[in-house]
Amino acid sequence: MSDNSKQISTETANSIQIEAKAKRREARQLLLISTVSVLVFLCLWELAVRAGWIDSKYLCAPTMVVETFLQKLTDPKPDGAVLGVHIITSLRLVLVGYLTAVIIGVPLGLIMGYYHTFDKLVSPIFEIVRPIPPIAWIPLSIIWLGVGTTAKAFIIFLAAFVPCVINSYTGVKLTPVVYLNVAKTSGASNWEVFWTVSRNYAMPLAFTGIQVALGNAWSTLVASELLAATAGLGYMIQQGRSLVRPDVIIVGMLTIGVIGAILTTLLSKLENHVVKWRSRA
Amino acid sequence: MKKNQIKTRDMLLSALSILGLIAVWFLVSNSKPDFFPTPMATIERLIRLIEKPVMKISILGHVLASLKRVVLALIAAIILGVGIGLFMGWNKKVRAAINPILMALRPIPPIAWIPLIILLFGIGEFPKVLLVFIGAFFPIVMNTMSGVALVEDMYLKVGKIYKANTAQMLRHVVFPAAMPAILAGIKIAISSGWMVVVAAEMLSSKSGLGFLINRGRDSYDVALIMVAMILIGVVGALLSAVFTLIERKLCGWMSKE
Repeated sequence: MSDNSKQISTETANSIQIEAKAKRREARQLLLISTVSVLVFLCLWELAVRAGWIDSKYLCAPTMVVETFLQKLTDPKPDGAVLGVHIITSLRLVLVGYLTAVIIGVPLGLIMGYYHTFDKLVSPIFEIVRPIPPIAWIPLSIIWLGVGTTAKAFIIFLAAFVPCVINSYTGVKLTPVVYLNVAKTSGASNWEVFWTVSRNYAMPLAFTGIQVALGNAWSTLVASELLAATAGLGYMIQQGRSLVRPDVIIVGMLTIGVIGAILTTLLSKLENHVVKWRSRA
Repeated sequence: MKKNQIKTRDMLLSALSILGLIAVWFLVSNSKPDFFPTPMATIERLIRLIEKPVMKISILGHVLASLKRVVLALIAAIILGVGIGLFMGWNKKVRAAINPILMALRPIPPIAWIPLIILLFGIGEFPKVLLVFIGAFFPIVMNTMSGVALVEDMYLKVGKIYKANTAQMLRHVVFPAAMPAILAGIKIAISSGWMVVVAAEMLSSKSGLGFLINRGRDSYDVALIMVAMILIGVVGALLSAVFTLIERKLCGWMSKE
């Protein structure tokens, strides 16, 4: 009897092992496919430029991109600043606009979601302003606020503000009535119900909004710098265009992409920290 | 009875809020009309725009010029995005081959492509459509892929039991099941595409709503800027409203109400 069960357990162990092995083999295979695909892509790109299928004046080879990247780390030429300065300028600008949007937008959304009268008062204005893309505000904000940091931060604020408000609002609206009733029955005041039940319930969705906002803010940053700036990553690629330096443009684009991805990753790490209760559920 | 009362009260509140907005606009703009045209001046400018075309293109022509760019790019993005997304979600090897490249390109905002694309393709009609395509393609392909990858196992098993081949499986099981995710992706693509077309037109164009904004800036015609902004907002809102209707038609079975 005990022999038999032992045999069965070794059999299951074996099959689990075999399965794990197959999985590992598959993972290795997929990794190989990915690597080959990226290499083929880069080789084709390099070849296209080297062989002259695309004029090297308008597109540069990947090796050239790496070269320019290394050069831009220390050399302010040809666009006036080293890569680090561009990055810091852009990051500072984005943080100002983005943090303002989060600090104003999330509480506004939460309150709009919870207090009906306030909702009806604010929603119409919000709905009128919402569909206008932040980029369309650029000329007006330049006329009103000048070409300084304020105008650019304002554009970024607009881009980040909308998802913060909408998601916090929806989060509160989706709070199950049962939770609200339990809190009320237990004698919680209106404010207590809002703060302890609705706000907590809305947090994960609000955080999604905060994350979307970051993406919006980062891509709008480039737009506002394309139009008026003296430094920053958007300015860098714009300069690359006027100087006909595709390598500078591509280094700028990739830097924008990488930093955007890093910011998003950092924020989702933070999310796991702040809304712990959700990951357990 | 009580519900009716609440409804009237809500409508009153909304009206109050919009009136308040207009009042504030009026008060602020009255002091510096050059800087910030009054609501009346803006409406007057709109009427003048309807009567007198800019660059020999009527206002409707500008709206249509922008819309044409967006629609062309959207059609291309839907065909390519849904197609590639389906295969990426269905076949792990295809996904492994394409995903790294997409992942590297995706975080680059569409607007950051503007300088490179102008360098490569000039400032004609094609580069603008291409830019909108870039803005629309990624949300569609990503949503289709995850929609397909998340199709419930049970549906696939039912398909297998009925001996569906790959084409039938994709057509009758996977595609409908992934439909809500695909439509959600298209919805994001529409608003992102609308934003990109305005940006592209603001940088270089001779028609379209983004061009009107620029025209207003260059000739310091703030009322024209505001008219163009309002039109951009209205058309953008209409686009997403129309799409919501289409969405309901296409997968009404999804909505819970």
